[in-house]
Amino acid sequence: MNATLSLAWRLLRGGGRRGLLGTWLTFGAVAVSTALLLFAISANLAFDARAERGAWRNPVAAKSGAVAVQATRLDYVAGRPITVVDIAALGDRAPAPPGLPRVPAPGEVWLSPALRELARELPADRLAARYPEQRGTLGEEALVHPEELVVVAGHRPDDPAMKSRDRDVAMGSVKPTRVASFAGTPTDDAIGYRILALIAGVLMVVPLLVFGGAAARLTVARRDQRLAALRLVGATPAQVAGMTVAEAMLVALAGALAGTVLYGLAAPLLTRIEIGGGPWYTADLWPPVWIVAVALAGVPVLVGLSAVAGLRRVVVSPLGVAKRETPPGLRFVRVLVLLAALIAVPVLSRQAGVAVIAGALGLAFLSLNLVGPWVVAVIGRVTAARARRPGTLLAGRRLVDDPRSAWRTVSGVALTGFVAGFLGLLSPSADLLGSPDRHQLTLAVPAGQAEKAAAEARERLAVAGVRAEVETTKGGIVAALGTGADQAVTDRARTALEGLAPGHTATTEAEDGSTSAQVLKDVGTGTVVVLAVSFLVAIASAGITAASSVLDRRQTYALLRLAGTPLEVLDRARRSETLIPLAVMGGGSIATGVLCALPFMYAAMNVRGVLTLVTCVVLGFGGVLAAGALSRPLLRSVTADPAPRPD
Amino acid sequence: MSEVLGGYTLTKHFGPTTALAGVDIAIGEAEAVAIMGPSGSGKSTLLHCLAGIMKPDSGEVHLMGQRVDNLGERRRSALRRTRFGFVFQFGQLLPELPAEENVALPLMLGGVSRTQAVRQARDWFGPLGLQGMEGRRPGELSGGQAQRVAIARALVTKPAVVFADEPTGALDQSTGHDTMRLLVEATKHNGASLVVVTHDPNVAGWCDRTVEVRDGRLSGSAVPDQTFTQLLPGVQA
Repeated sequence: MNATLSLAWRLLRGGGRRGLLGTWLTFGAVAVSTALLLFAISANLAFDARAERGAWRNPVAAKSGAVAVQATRLDYVAGRPITVVDIAALGDRAPAPPGLPRVPAPGEVWLSPALRELARELPADRLAARYPEQRGTLGEEALVHPEELVVVAGHRPDDPAMKSRDRDVAMGSVKPTRVASFAGTPTDDAIGYRILALIAGVLMVVPLLVFGGAAARLTVARRDQRLAALRLVGATPAQVAGMTVAEAMLVALAGALAGTVLYGLAAPLLTRIEIGGGPWYTADLWPPVWIVAVALAGVPVLVGLSAVAGLRRVVVSPLGVAKRETPPGLRFVRVLVLLAALIAVPVLSRQAGVAVIAGALGLAFLSLNLVGPWVVAVIGRVTAARARRPGTLLAGRRLVDDPRSAWRTVSGVALTGFVAGFLGLLSPSADLLGSPDRHQLTLAVPAGQAEKAAAEARERLAVAGVRAEVETTKGGIVAALGTGADQAVTDRARTALEGLAPGHTATTEAEDGSTSAQVLKDVGTGTVVVLAVSFLVAIASAGITAASSVLDRRQTYALLRLAGTPLEVLDRARRSETLIPLAVMGGGSIATGVLCALPFMYAAMNVRGVLTLVTCVVLGFGGVLAAGALSRPLLRSVTADPAPRPD
Repeated sequence: MSEVLGGYTLTKHFGPTTALAGVDIAIGEAEAVAIMGPSGSGKSTLLHCLAGIMKPDSGEVHLMGQRVDNLGERRRSALRRTRFGFVFQFGQLLPELPAEENVALPLMLGGVSRTQAVRQARDWFGPLGLQGMEGRRPGELSGGQAQRVAIARALVTKPAVVFADEPTGALDQSTGHDTMRLLVEATKHNGASLVVVTHDPNVAGWCDRTVEVRDGRLSGSAVPDQTFTQLLPGVQA
């Protein structure tokens, strides 16, 4: 074993400039893969952590032994939602809720740091006046994210705010519930986010694994001639496999370490990505030690396995690498597999349960991965058939020759592109549902109290200096603030109406729809993140593919150049090899998404979303081109070396 | 026999090593010349200088009476593409392209339409004994077949001179024999001159004349030699 390791180490070091280049490429690919893998896993864990921290505000009814009554509703300020948690202790057995030293006494309120800051910044009549008895600041364990606006208010158990029948069931509200503890359960929204995060994770990880595996085989491709020579001088298959695995794993371990460091450096920046209305706690995106350990051990093992797979030919026959034959054609049966999966996935997904959904999704993506290369090969055939220039002909033939390599580069973008294109154009606001009212506050009041409430509202608004027409409606009152009312006026009116109907908040139609708008916005942000990751994978993969294509064909390229073939033709072929499938499959999938979104554009186009999408696509395509161009000096160097024999 | 290609007092150094020490050589029209010599003698360097792949340190190379060694890389590259053909030991065919497209490639590079280029390329398959191989890829051809495809590719542009560097080096004796015969015959039939670098006296035997390079200098006849040609077996001049 020691002899194998030391020979592997010597092979690695003595690989020559181009051998080392292959090693560096593998190192870089593994580093990028590991960093992105850690991101995909950490993001999922971060959503879990958010769901856990927010669970306590979603009370579970006690079967017996209730210690408190708890309710949740949404209030608003400056267009942002405030989560209001109302708590009334039943006796003195109630434990301290998360982030608090004790149950708040009746009348006391505890604010989240962001809300406290906002209350200090805004005029008192917009926000602070709603919380006359501020007792302290909520700890992180009570909050979903650092910018979250939360207030925990103490009440008496007999307070009208804590009576079920008097509470409405607006979006984001939970009726007063008798609880035995403050553990709660994750909200449906949080579970929805976890499922979306899981989908995003699968979308990022599948192309990564495929790409990482390909990168591993790169080391082998550089070495196979030499290893075949070792076989010829009598090395046993086990020795050859051992050496290859050892060499690939050494490189992969170094790459995985570098990737971990890379992720560590990037994590603080990633916390700024706003999802669910705010950024992340750094700790949320910091993977636990065991995940890092699994990645550091698992990535080299996967790379080693991939290397063994790549080496099988050499081990089977020492002459295995010398011959190059037409690869078996990809069969149409792959498309049938996808169709089967498309039927199976919705059926499977009907069974609730994250594991089943994840399994079904994985199945769908694997089927797409089966079909992807087949589509690339078809694109290659069409390109070759229609090619007039040698560069295009060469690119088309190469796509047919090795469609999997091109698919590795474009798969992520092709898979994410549709969703990104669809959401990029849509405006993530309640505008989707028409044009909601922003100048009219609606407040639910208990039955039979509407007239009295309307009179008091008029009085309170007059004192606050807010001009409004208050009328009663079925189930409550409406205060029309006039179209001239801005956000400040709306906030002042709301502050004035605070407590008029205990347990209720005056809201506008736009605010009532803001939760759905937030989800749509988050899905849009998530999609752009996944698209960006997909483009990163595409860029890294394009760089690797381009370099390995030059290295694999170095002799032919050199001889072609000797025979007078201009470098530009070879270069154009390499460029087209990536750009054609990327434009057809990635660009096509984005464009299809955009087209599908057009019928939903009732209101204005989401300019910011479109700009983000366009930036992402331009940077992505530019990056892919640049990554390909990086190997141009390599092409020049291998072809500028005219048969360097001294005789 | 008029001179097609000539090298005059060519010198080339690689660091302290002298590869060519003032070589004079002339290649006649439709003449086949073998350059022989031990390893490290400078024979490949001579071929590279004559073919415009490498610039000599001093001396001149003339093609059809025009000096070509002082041209820029782009023009020398164009010259190699249009006026010269090349056959190497192996590995010169693009593995992804079928044989006929490998042959058509130099024509397409020269601006001939694809349909026309492929049609012209196909014309070479019959005479070279490659019928039915048009759609095969290099990996599906034997070594000898691949070399014949390479010969077709070298000749398809109707070059003035074909350069061959150990063209049978990777073949067995019998296949090598056949390949050399085809190379010499096809080149002559096409009116092109042939310059072959080889270790193998059997290969040199197919040529009209052999020059030997030793320590960067020529021995043997540096100019076309009709009598020498007539002594050789199997050549239809």
